[in-house]
Amino acid sequence: MRIWVTGIGVVSPLARGAGETMDRLLAGDRAVGSLALFHLPGSRVDIAAEVRDLRVSAVAPGGDAEGWSRTDAMGVIAAREALAQAGLDPRGAAVDLILGGTTAGMFETEAPLAELSRELLPDASTPHFIPPEAVAPLRRMLSHPLSSTADHVDSAAGPFRQVRTVCSACSSGANAILLAAAWIRAGRSRAVLAGGADGLCRLTYSGFGALAALSPEPCRPFDRRRAGLNLGEGAAFLVLEPEEAARARGARPLVELRGWAVGAEANHITNPEASGETAARVMLAALARAELSPADLDYVNAHGTATSLNDSMETAALRRCLGADADRVPVSTCKGQIGHTLAAAGAIEAAVTAMAIARGVLPPTIGLEEVDPACVLPHVTVQRPARIRAAMSNSFGFGGTDTVLVLAEVGAFPAPALAPTRPVVVTGAATVGPLGVLGVEGSRAYLDPGPEPSPGPIAFQASAHLDVARARRLDRAGKLTTTAIARAMAEARLEMAPRAITEAITEAITEAITEAITEAITETATRAERIGAVVGSAFGSIEGCTAFMRRVYDKGPKFASPADFPNLVPSSPVGHASIYLGLRGPVFATCDLEASAESAIATAVELLGAGEGDAIFAGSVEEASPMIERCLGPICSGITDRGARSEGAAVLLLEAEETAVRRGARVLARVAWWRSWRSAGTGGPRPLAEAPRPSSPGTCAVFLGRDDERVRRALEGSAWAEVPRRSVAARAGDHEGAGGFAAAAAVGALAAGEIESALLLGLAPDRGYAVLLVRPSTETT
Amino acid sequence: MVTELNLEGKAPADIDDAAPLFGEGLGLDSLDALQLAMSVEERFGVRIPEGPEARPIFASVDALVAHIVSCASG
Repeated sequence: MRIWVTGIGVVSPLARGAGETMDRLLAGDRAVGSLALFHLPGSRVDIAAEVRDLRVSAVAPGGDAEGWSRTDAMGVIAAREALAQAGLDPRGAAVDLILGGTTAGMFETEAPLAELSRELLPDASTPHFIPPEAVAPLRRMLSHPLSSTADHVDSAAGPFRQVRTVCSACSSGANAILLAAAWIRAGRSRAVLAGGADGLCRLTYSGFGALAALSPEPCRPFDRRRAGLNLGEGAAFLVLEPEEAARARGARPLVELRGWAVGAEANHITNPEASGETAARVMLAALARAELSPADLDYVNAHGTATSLNDSMETAALRRCLGADADRVPVSTCKGQIGHTLAAAGAIEAAVTAMAIARGVLPPTIGLEEVDPACVLPHVTVQRPARIRAAMSNSFGFGGTDTVLVLAEVGAFPAPALAPTRPVVVTGAATVGPLGVLGVEGSRAYLDPGPEPSPGPIAFQASAHLDVARARRLDRAGKLTTTAIARAMAEARLEMAPRAITEAITEAITEAITEAITEAITETATRAERIGAVVGSAFGSIEGCTAFMRRVYDKGPKFASPADFPNLVPSSPVGHASIYLGLRGPVFATCDLEASAESAIATAVELLGAGEGDAIFAGSVEEASPMIERCLGPICSGITDRGARSEGAAVLLLEAEETAVRRGARVLARVAWWRSWRSAGTGGPRPLAEAPRPSSPGTCAVFLGRDDERVRRALEGSAWAEVPRRSVAARAGDHEGAGGFAAAAAVGALAAGEIESALLLGLAPDRGYAVLLVRPSTETT
Repeated sequence: MVTELNLEGKAPADIDDAAPLFGEGLGLDSLDALQLAMSVEERFGVRIPEGPEARPIFASVDALVAHIVSCASG
């Protein structure tokens, strides 16, 4: 099966438009200049690659601009361009949207949030609830959640059938494309608009500054004198379609998306692994997925940030992956021209790689004059024509999630084989919440009547569960997440293969040897490379972000905390868990307001089904936060009568059925069906109409974070409307991640034989997720 | 240093003032170095240069104290 790229849209600091951006990249133009968007007094660096003359009000629907961010506007412009080129109108066709992001409306909200948060500090004289209607600028907060960019792309360029937001720091955009490929290969999508968008903001600017990662001059990728990166901003989307569907509607392909892979370094929260081992492993996996070898590659679009550590690591990884071909395959990066556009980078660079193949031209690396001896590769410094049969695009993120995409000329290689979608099972669950650290059986307690949790933080002693010396960099969300995953992992007896064996596999020369070793060890253990984690959070680390920005405003950017900054990206909790526990498979965050847990669970099921990992922990984490409780929560969810919010983390352990059975895992439930939807994009029958009918009455239940009017409306007309509903918010805390607790409790009830099937239902404004878990039939237990 | 770098389970008395801070000794890394440099500048008004020049200053607690004292009195 071939996946065609039929449309490309780009907003970059060089130009609005994919073709115009490519023209200027080929001309060697640079967009790095004085920072005009904001001024940070006392900052040691004052340059960036900005998207100039961007008017949010020109893009946002009438009167809505106040709740929109620059990120949103860039996303919409790029989305419209990609859809127009593909000749696809989401109003008349089922199109899905996946967006990678890290900052969304941070630029628009960082100052007001920092100010508001002062009033909510414990020592503030009069902490008070801020009524949403009282302060006009509070509408601006609508642009804060990471999911708001996808929401706004949905409203201005959609409606889309389903929408997903993913974050893995600087590889976010590439992971959006990877997930789109998984959807298409599984036959779940006939068209996906996938990409990334990220705007400049004071938080990332002072954060990268604190890490001494910003170059005071236009950056020099792979150069001996390189002194860090330039930050940029932008957005890009690709329209991806299965060949058959695209042909059927008469669309023309630009290039093929052939390969993709994601893996975590599990090394360090900011520093890449010096050996490049993981990056090389992921590159090889992407080539294997593409059914190509290094000899087939004619171009590599490097991550090439121009930091000292990245460029030498990436060179080492390329040499490791490509072998002798590393001296032949031309390499370039566009970061010297448009800066590092963070979550958008993976998508913009996939777009540039696609255009390089389609046009038959190698774009240059600008800023490279004297190649560092640690970075010797066939660098392209002036554009030149070349036939590119296949090319690889690298993206590496903070926290260590490496993602590689392989694109190819249309029809240059035989169509890759299509592996069947793998069934997924649940083999574990754990919660860290008001009732303590609990496994499968214990988590059922959240279904029992009992007292409401006390508001604020839960009584959680990290030292009782984690090696505090090794966990010293983990913030609260990181500790809660890591503890929940560790608990589920131990209880499900998911054992990791010793490192020496996995290294032997990395070094294995042939596929046959790799398979033989894998076969031998999977009897008892799972390779760390095949274990991942996807954890959702509605608002990320909002208390951490406001504390960081208060310091920047009060003391100046040079006193921004380097140690705190990496904890502010939404994928930080899951990144920390991956480092602490050594999980080296797919690791990223999802964000979708109060349905973030269900969003993570659905994403994990899709990744496992497509063969991205064999075991993935999926759920949610929410920290106690006065800012969310009193400001962001009510504004973004529209719910003002919540019970005690509390906090916690909850995960399921999901595994591909074949590998779970092979390792002798106890299968607690099977994922029988799942679906995510947007109200506007579904159009036809109600989303739950297609759900399998519940088993006999009294043996099934709908599991919910919170039960309210929205639930009744979503179930209306479906066979599940009359089924008992069980919600956990009154015990677990009425927070955005309560759905994760409901999922764990459901698994507990299934494992105990209380019920035969459980429908997990996660709802937030205009969106929903449903996952049907059923008790395994006797022959599989 | 214990508070600033969140060295859980360590007390100031546990740190040997003459032992190396990075790698083998206390086991700190480059992210700790940045955090330490920032907090030294905040508390003592003494700037730690970036890059290789910082290496001897961060050799040990004694070396760091000597640098702060010399800058503060000079």
